[in-house]
Amino acid sequence: MDASSNLYWLILPLVVAFSLVYSASRHESWRLIWMRSIRLCLLILGALIGTTAILLLINTQV
Amino acid sequence: MSQQPIQLRDPLKAAFLAWLIPGLGHYYQGRKGKAALYAICILSIYFIGFVLGEGKVVYWRWVSPLNLDKFMLHYPGQFFVGLPALPALIQGTIRYFLPNSNFLWGFMAEPSQNVINGMHARLGSKLVDVGTIYTTAAGLLNVLAIYDAYEGPAYVDEPDGDELVETPASAGAKVEGTV
Repeated sequence: MDASSNLYWLILPLVVAFSLVYSASRHESWRLIWMRSIRLCLLILGALIGTTAILLLINTQV
Repeated sequence: MSQQPIQLRDPLKAAFLAWLIPGLGHYYQGRKGKAALYAICILSIYFIGFVLGEGKVVYWRWVSPLNLDKFMLHYPGQFFVGLPALPALIQGTIRYFLPNSNFLWGFMAEPSQNVINGMHARLGSKLVDVGTIYTTAAGLLNVLAIYDAYEGPAYVDEPDGDELVETPASAGAKVEGTV
């Protein structure tokens, strides 16, 4: 971990904002907006973390 | 079942207001919660990016879109944030006609290559790139908000929230809940 790895934290606000705005543009009910945005946020973060983990794994194997 | 019509009022005016300031079109339609959500999310992303790039990641220059070396690919995205990104377009236009202008002390004018190089050296090029991505993403997110102001939400939500019914595009109002 070095200073440049802090850059990864900057992904978080972007993903949260994207999830909220996208869900709000699809639904009018607040319950659905929150539910869908949390689900989308977790999905995107999961995909990003999974991809990073695979890349790290490949990188340490090569 | 009860129906709650979503009044889109004048959709074109709402879309214009949504472009001008994120959330303003929804406020005009009386969708104040959504207005706050869009304003907070989009403007905070834009201004975080703006501050990360020290205010020098949002600028415009008038060149042919085919000139990919000089064309500002990120500005067409940033443009959709509306008023916060508009000074860059004004500066770009003034600089096109008056290259030595110092309008608004160069606020949001295209920075010189020396300034850009210095910024990359001082902040690190990644942080500058993140600033560009943030401000561009904010504009692209506002496209969704503008479309929502114009067309209403994509789905009509059932009162229990479990099932979704896709609705056709409406002319003036959308109805939440089914008959």
